[in-house]
Amino acid sequence: MQDERGLIEEARSLGSGYQLLKIAAPHAAKTAKPGQFVMVRILPALDPLLRRPLGILDARPPYIWLYYQVLGNGTRLLAGQRPGDSLDILGPLGNTFPELPGQRVLLIAGGRGIVPLFHYARAYGERRPLLMLYGGRSKADQQLLDRVLSLRLERLFIFSEDGSIGQQGRLSDGLEKILRDERPDATYSCGPEAMLAALAKLLKPFPTRDLVSLEARMGCGFGACQGCAILAANGTYRRVCDEGPVFPMEEIQWPT
Amino acid sequence: MADLSADLGFRTLKNPVIAASGTFGYGEEFLPFYDLDVLGAIVMKGIFREERPGNPPPRLHETPAGLLNSIGLAGPGSAALQEIIRRLHARTPVPIIVNVCGGDDDEFVEVAALFSGMDEVAMLELNISCPNVKKGGACPAQDAGHTSRLVKRVKERIRKPLIVKLSPNAADIVGVAQAAQDAGADALSLVNTFLGLAVDLEARRPVFANVYAGLSGPAVKPLALRLVREVCLKAYVPVIGIGGIASGRDALDYILVGASAVQVGTVNFYDPAGAARIVTEIEAEMERLKIRDLSEIRGKLQA
Repeated sequence: MQDERGLIEEARSLGSGYQLLKIAAPHAAKTAKPGQFVMVRILPALDPLLRRPLGILDARPPYIWLYYQVLGNGTRLLAGQRPGDSLDILGPLGNTFPELPGQRVLLIAGGRGIVPLFHYARAYGERRPLLMLYGGRSKADQQLLDRVLSLRLERLFIFSEDGSIGQQGRLSDGLEKILRDERPDATYSCGPEAMLAALAKLLKPFPTRDLVSLEARMGCGFGACQGCAILAANGTYRRVCDEGPVFPMEEIQWPT
Repeated sequence: MADLSADLGFRTLKNPVIAASGTFGYGEEFLPFYDLDVLGAIVMKGIFREERPGNPPPRLHETPAGLLNSIGLAGPGSAALQEIIRRLHARTPVPIIVNVCGGDDDEFVEVAALFSGMDEVAMLELNISCPNVKKGGACPAQDAGHTSRLVKRVKERIRKPLIVKLSPNAADIVGVAQAAQDAGADALSLVNTFLGLAVDLEARRPVFANVYAGLSGPAVKPLALRLVREVCLKAYVPVIGIGGIASGRDALDYILVGASAVQVGTVNFYDPAGAARIVTEIEAEMERLKIRDLSEIRGKLQA
C-alpha cells in the first residue's frame, strides 16, 4: 500500500453517469489483486474532504482502470477531471477474491458490481474457464458490455430487468438453472445490496463457496476510523475496508 | 534551524504535533506511511474496560470541509489495547498517550489506573467529552462539578501526567477547564467534536441512529480556535489545541492564541501522512517567519 500521485491518461463518460478512468499509478498497478480498491483524492480540495473508495477494474502496469458511477459531489468532481490532471491514489487496499486454481468459479455482477469481477476475469481467465452473469436494470447499467464480451469466459449470461439486453429478468431469476447446469464450485458476487441479499438466500441450499464484495462509505480506507462498519451475521461489526471488502456470504447480516 | 520542541511543563515533546484520539487507530495502521517518531506524540483511540462494538451504520457523513461521525468508540477493550501498546512501543519510541473512557466514573478510574501502570505509556488523556456514547451527546465535560469530581478521583489513582479532553458542547467550557485544572489536570486538550445533526430529507429521518453526531475537520477550525483562546486566557496548565488543523499554518494559529501543542485528527483520514507533513510545514513556516522557537509566538496574539 502506498499513497502515490496518479496521472490521468484517459477519462471517458460512457453514458448514464458511468465513467471510465485510466490512471498511471505504477505502485497500485503493479501490486493490485482482484477485489482490491483505491482511495482517490482530488487535489488539493478540502471539499469534498474525504477520498472516495473505488474498486480497481483492471491493472496493467503502469496503469489502473477505475469504473464508477456519478452519485454525489465527490464523483461529480472526479468526473470533471481530464487527462493530464493528477489524483492522489492510495492503495491497493483491502483483501482479494482468491484465485482458487482448478475450480469452477461463477462470477455474478450487478451494475457497477462488475468492477472486481472484471478484474478477476482479466487476471485469471486466461488460465482456466470462468462463468459470468452480468445484469442490471437495463442496458444503460451495463456500460462495460463491450469489454466484458472481450473477456475470456467459458460462458457469459446477460440479464436486464427491462429486457433491453440479454434475458429479461433479475440476475437471481436465472441463477438456479445456471447453478444446476454448470455446477460451479464457487460464486463471487458484487452488486446492489438488495441483489446480494436475494443471492444469499438463493445460494444457501447449494454447496458452493460463496464470496461477496461489499461497498461502503469510508473515512480512511485502511482500518483507522472504523467508519465503514457493517453488521455481521453473528451481531458484531466488520470493517469493509480492511476486513473486506470480500466476505464469505454467510458472514453478513443481510436485510430481510 | 527552528526549534520545534513543545514544552508541556511535565514533559517536553520534540514538536507540538500530536495525532488525535479516534483518528489514528492504534498507531499501527499508520506505520506503512511514515516513521511515527517524527510526531510529538500519538493518542490511541479511546478505550473502555471491555470490548465495544460501536454504533450501527451509517457512522460517517461528510459535510462541506467537515465530517460528522458517530463511531461510538468501537474498540477491543483494555486488555487487548495493552498488547497493542507493547507491540507498538517495541517498534517506535514515539510517546504514547492512552485516551481513557468510561461508561461511569468507576470505569474511568479503573481504566486510567490500569494504563498508568504501563511503562510504555507516556501520559493519559481523560476522554470526558465524546458525544457519541450517550444518546443526545451527554458527557461529563458538560458539567464543571462532575468534571472536578472525576478528575480528582482519577488523579488519586494514577502516577502519569493527566490531560483532560474538553467538550465544545459545554455551556461554559472555560468554567469546565478551570474545574479540571483546579482538580489536578496536568494539561487540557480541546476541543472534542461539535455536536451536529444531519437529516435525510427524503426519508424525513436523521442520518444517524444516535440522531446527533460529532463534527470535525477544517470546517470547525474558527469555532475551535476561539474556544482554545478563551481557555488559554484563563488556564495555568498547558493547553493542547484541537480542531480542523490541516496545515502547518493552522497549527501555528493555535500556538499564537496560547496552545502549547496541538492535536491533528480528521486530516489523518484523507491524508494518511498528513500529521508528518504538518510537522514539516510548521518548520518551514517558522523559518519563513523567522521564529526561532515556539515560545516566541505562544499566546502572543495582539487583540
